[in-house]
Amino acid sequence: MSLVLKNVSKNFIGKKAVDNISLTLDKPGVFGLLGTNGAGKTTTIRMLLGIIKKDSGEITWNGKTVERKNVNFGYLPEERGVYPKTKIFDQLMYFAELKGMKKQEAINSINKWAKVLKVEEYLQMPAEKLSKGNQQKIQFMTAIIHNPELVVLDEPFSGLDPVNTEILKNIIIDLVANGKYVIMSAHQMATIEEFCSDILILNKGKTVLQGNLKEIKESYPANRVEVDVNQNIDNYIKKFELEKENEKDNDYVIKINDEDVAHKLLNELVKDGIEINKFEIKKPTLNDIFIEKVG
Amino acid sequence: MKDLVTVIKFTIKDMVKRKSFIISTIIILILIVAGFNIPNILKSIGGEDTQEKLLIVDEQNVFEGTLENLNNINLDYNIQIENISYDKIKEKIENEEIESAIVIEKQENNIKIRYIVENTTMMESVPEELVNMINNMYSNLQISKLGLTYEQLQSIQPNFEFSLEQTEEEKASGNVLAIMLLSIVLFYAIYFCAYQVSSSITTEKTSKIMETLVTSTTPKTIVLGKTIGIGIVGLLQMIIIVGTAIISAKSFLEPEMIDAILDLSNITPYLAIVTIVYFILGYLAYALLYALTGSTVSKPEDIQSANTPVAILAVIGFYLSYFTMMNPTSELNVFASMFPISSPFCMPFRVMMGIASASDVAISITILVVTILIIAQIAIKIYSSAIFNYGTKMSFKDIIKIYKDKNN
Repeated sequence: MSLVLKNVSKNFIGKKAVDNISLTLDKPGVFGLLGTNGAGKTTTIRMLLGIIKKDSGEITWNGKTVERKNVNFGYLPEERGVYPKTKIFDQLMYFAELKGMKKQEAINSINKWAKVLKVEEYLQMPAEKLSKGNQQKIQFMTAIIHNPELVVLDEPFSGLDPVNTEILKNIIIDLVANGKYVIMSAHQMATIEEFCSDILILNKGKTVLQGNLKEIKESYPANRVEVDVNQNIDNYIKKFELEKENEKDNDYVIKINDEDVAHKLLNELVKDGIEINKFEIKKPTLNDIFIEKVG
Repeated sequence: MKDLVTVIKFTIKDMVKRKSFIISTIIILILIVAGFNIPNILKSIGGEDTQEKLLIVDEQNVFEGTLENLNNINLDYNIQIENISYDKIKEKIENEEIESAIVIEKQENNIKIRYIVENTTMMESVPEELVNMINNMYSNLQISKLGLTYEQLQSIQPNFEFSLEQTEEEKASGNVLAIMLLSIVLFYAIYFCAYQVSSSITTEKTSKIMETLVTSTTPKTIVLGKTIGIGIVGLLQMIIIVGTAIISAKSFLEPEMIDAILDLSNITPYLAIVTIVYFILGYLAYALLYALTGSTVSKPEDIQSANTPVAILAVIGFYLSYFTMMNPTSELNVFASMFPISSPFCMPFRVMMGIASASDVAISITILVVTILIIAQIAIKIYSSAIFNYGTKMSFKDIIKIYKDKNN
């Protein structure tokens, strides 16, 4: 199975919202769609699901257009919504039935996911009585309740507390382990970094970086050293003509251009008998790469 | 099709479970039952004796004692005859012993009759019934003095037969009150029921559930499912209300009273079917128009203004049929029974009056169905395109633009 976007573009009244983007997802995993606000992530997702029409290009799932009848997909929109006055169970049932589930099958699935997401106690309440975070979990449930093969999540973590973020993350990891294809847009680079296999960074509708996340990161040289010592080492930094990025209680983050200079610094510190708690040469984070590309 | 049934079921369940719906229906039913009990309630408050007490004073004996006979005639008055002074009369009226009094005084050339009540604010003249009663009493008294035979007496009584006729061949028949009731019930049922469709759609936009919804089923299914679901609830509500009204009328009102208001023999199965068909079609036409306007807004406070054009159309349609009802054979009424915005209100009473032929009904229904199909097509198109219009209310120009935009 594979999802392919080929040279897809969309214009909104004189403005290029998405400009000629292409991507392929050909094995189970999480594809990360990154970008600043208004970069075109949601537009890409909406075109992908056929909610809005693309101006040009091709979007296919197993060679067929992405439509309800061709693909069993689940979608968590960026615009969160629930029926405020309707019981949670009733609305979950409604969407499960619309997605073609049988009644008993749907009830089982609702109970199963309610347990995993820890929302069992809310099932008989109207949605307006739930906190925003819990409403979001309910919406997440509507996206995955029918066991879809393709799961599209638009900013799934925004607005969730760390505990719920963790629950959601584990579910997504499980989905991939069960052979699902996940496309996800996000702002939180740390989260994406944890489980995205491939990424695409959008800026003003254009692709600025794309590929396997691990390969991308490896292609970037180490750019800093994190050092934890028991004394001030400013004079060493000066000696090697380096620049401090951050310093707190003798915890240093030092910018480097190549790894050699880091090794030299370590040798010097060891030679002088300075007690070292930590010395780590670091590659740029996805956050660093993102800011470099779109900042 | 399965999706359509799911949407209809969800819409019905969601509406029927609403507290506001349950409470308003119960209130309407209570009002109906209470309304039909008003005559009984009034009776029990006023006691058994509802006849007005009338005192007649004929000191000079103008009527030569015949006034006593008045109590033998079935009148709405309980008549006492007594010769007392004006002050005593006043006192009796103030003490509520009597409601009114008649004082007969012979004058030089004529007889003066004074009708005395406590307060004349609500009266323009002496009640016609009393005037006729006294006039008849007096003429009968005088005629009897002439010593005429029964035949002679019969010959001076007018024995005319009045009849009302028209030159046009078509003849309208039917109870005007029933016709008016029918068109008013139809109008309110169609109007309020259809209105729910637009608020239901706007609520989905306000609660931002649209995107989940349109990826779960098609816009066509949503618009049609909602429209049909709300229509079924409205029809059931109307049946419950009309049913309660009929049962209450039969159990609480005197049979003669029901016959006076509604001649049930006018309601034939054909008329019932035509009325239900027009209710359903009229509802569909207006509900889909409301679906269209509901799609153009995203905030509940904008619904009102977006719906105004449809409301105006409905009112024009209703009055067009209502006023031409006065002259049911006029060309304007024929037009109203064909024109799709007024035909649902107009055609059922033309059928009731027996002036619409089967082919008229067929043409009118065809026009209405074609109109519904056109409105449905536009409404679905606007709905699908306007999903992401979360901003301000769309103008008519925007709607036309979206409709023409093949790309959307």
